Amino acid sequence: MPSDIVIDVRDLRKTYRTPFRRKKVEALRGITFGVERGHIFGFVGPNGAGKTTTIRTLMGLIRPTSGSATILGHAIPSRAARFKVGFLPESPYFYDYLTIGELLDLAGRLFGIDRATRKQRADALIDRVGLGRARGQSLKKFSKGMLQRAGLAQALMNDPEIVVLDEPTSGLDPIGRKEVRDLIIELRDQGKTVLFSSHILTDIEAIADQVAIVARGALQSLGTPAELVKRTVLGIDIVVRLAAEIDATTLTTDASHVRRTADELALTLAADADVDAWLERARQAGARVLAIEPRHETLEDLFLRRVGSADA
Amino acid sequence: MIGRIWAIALNTFREAARIRVLYGIIVLVVGVNLLAIVLGQMSIHEEARVARDIGLAGISLFGSLTAIFLGVFLLYTEVQRRTIHAIVSKPIERWEFVVGKYFGMVVVLTILVGLFAIAMAAMLTLQGVGISSALVKAIVLVWFEVLTVAAIAIFFSSFSTPFLSGIFSLAMWGLGRVTPDIEAAIEHGTPWIRVVAKIALEIVPDIHLFSPSGRVVDGATVSVHADFITWGYVGLASLHGLGWIVGLLALACLLFQRRDFA
Repeated sequence: MPSDIVIDVRDLRKTYRTPFRRKKVEALRGITFGVERGHIFGFVGPNGAGKTTTIRTLMGLIRPTSGSATILGHAIPSRAARFKVGFLPESPYFYDYLTIGELLDLAGRLFGIDRATRKQRADALIDRVGLGRARGQSLKKFSKGMLQRAGLAQALMNDPEIVVLDEPTSGLDPIGRKEVRDLIIELRDQGKTVLFSSHILTDIEAIADQVAIVARGALQSLGTPAELVKRTVLGIDIVVRLAAEIDATTLTTDASHVRRTADELALTLAADADVDAWLERARQAGARVLAIEPRHETLEDLFLRRVGSADA
Repeated sequence: MIGRIWAIALNTFREAARIRVLYGIIVLVVGVNLLAIVLGQMSIHEEARVARDIGLAGISLFGSLTAIFLGVFLLYTEVQRRTIHAIVSKPIERWEFVVGKYFGMVVVLTILVGLFAIAMAAMLTLQGVGISSALVKAIVLVWFEVLTVAAIAIFFSSFSTPFLSGIFSLAMWGLGRVTPDIEAAIEHGTPWIRVVAKIALEIVPDIHLFSPSGRVVDGATVSVHADFITWGYVGLASLHGLGWIVGLLALACLLFQRRDFA
């Protein structure tokens, strides 16, 4: 692996046994990947795919059955490996009797940060995640979105080189999700490496430099979004204006994804369809073309294909 | 290391201070001391004896029950509520976390035992009874008893549920209080009782060491009301407790180290 790999995961496996029947459950089945310094690494997969198990193993919460991983060259689960890492757990739970300031102070103490720096960083982070008005409230009164922001703040308390975020946009409204995405990009721009998991594909596609798709405890795809998503045309999306009383049967015969509204017709033609001939037929039927756009494969298409083949 | 342990201890103290049951227990102990005055008045010239005995028994009983309650819940709820995820993912060793939790409990229990002792001293003063060094020694011993019981509870809590941990801790505390009776069972019991009693004696701390009043120590009957044990005895008994505390915490740390927090 190149030298600027800051998280190096090799053949990581985790097998559990169910409590009573002692049945083996393979949560991770030999996951291998590397995260490059300064990149945003998106970890995507359906529920139960192994994303959280991988992240918790990296953070020392779970012991791997076999395989190895290093963070900044330090083997997990050593203290040194966690020293330069900020971590936001999935659906974070914090001591609900603390205020956001006290939570950040506790986090700072565990990193051995001196009192003055703790205070200074906590104040800055509280404003940065938009919790300035909730400064005096105990976390018990926080909404799920506010707790997520508090979790982000505590993950940044040690000014980490690597930020690991498990489902950071979960439970957030669209504005909150956009703010978290912007924050992740801002962190990358500051030279930090971000590994984040999500099952919201648009979040991953929008900001990740590298993407790993996991399903059933194994890596299905790994690469940049451009490498993973084929640029070949999968079909042609067409929208035309067409009066409601006109029969569109001849126009929809070979099409898919057909939608008809009062005065519009939207459909998708196959990639190799004769678009010119279709347009000619549409004009003869009295239609006016509003939009023609090639349809490329999206990360969602790839995800569904990969996850589907893993399940098969 | 000290800073991290202290951070956990401080947080544990904050958490425990919010448990309303503790305030109920303080009220209960004050109530027990008031009861001691009433019972003392009913006795014939034994007001001071009754007040001291009931007061010390109250500290021992409620202090130990509080130690079990805190010990079985404080560690378990960290795992159950997943608050531990944001903590052990930081550069803290798991043993530091367990020790920090214990020290947090030590602070809470020390304050409680202190308050219980103050309540008892106030009642004794109201009755015109002085506070002797025997009473101070007895309180120091009860304090060590409570800290030992807390370590027992933390040990069981490191791998078991609060219900089971509570039962195991109560059993260990109960057996530890009757070690002279277990020794007697070894001498006079049937063969299988001897075997069970010998095993019990090996696996429980001798908590009876912390409440020697009314028993024979070094050939003499000791009592907080008359001749009591020396500071040397208090030191040795405390060392015995300390040994168990260190041993139980070491085992708890080892077990906690191996746990997955899924």
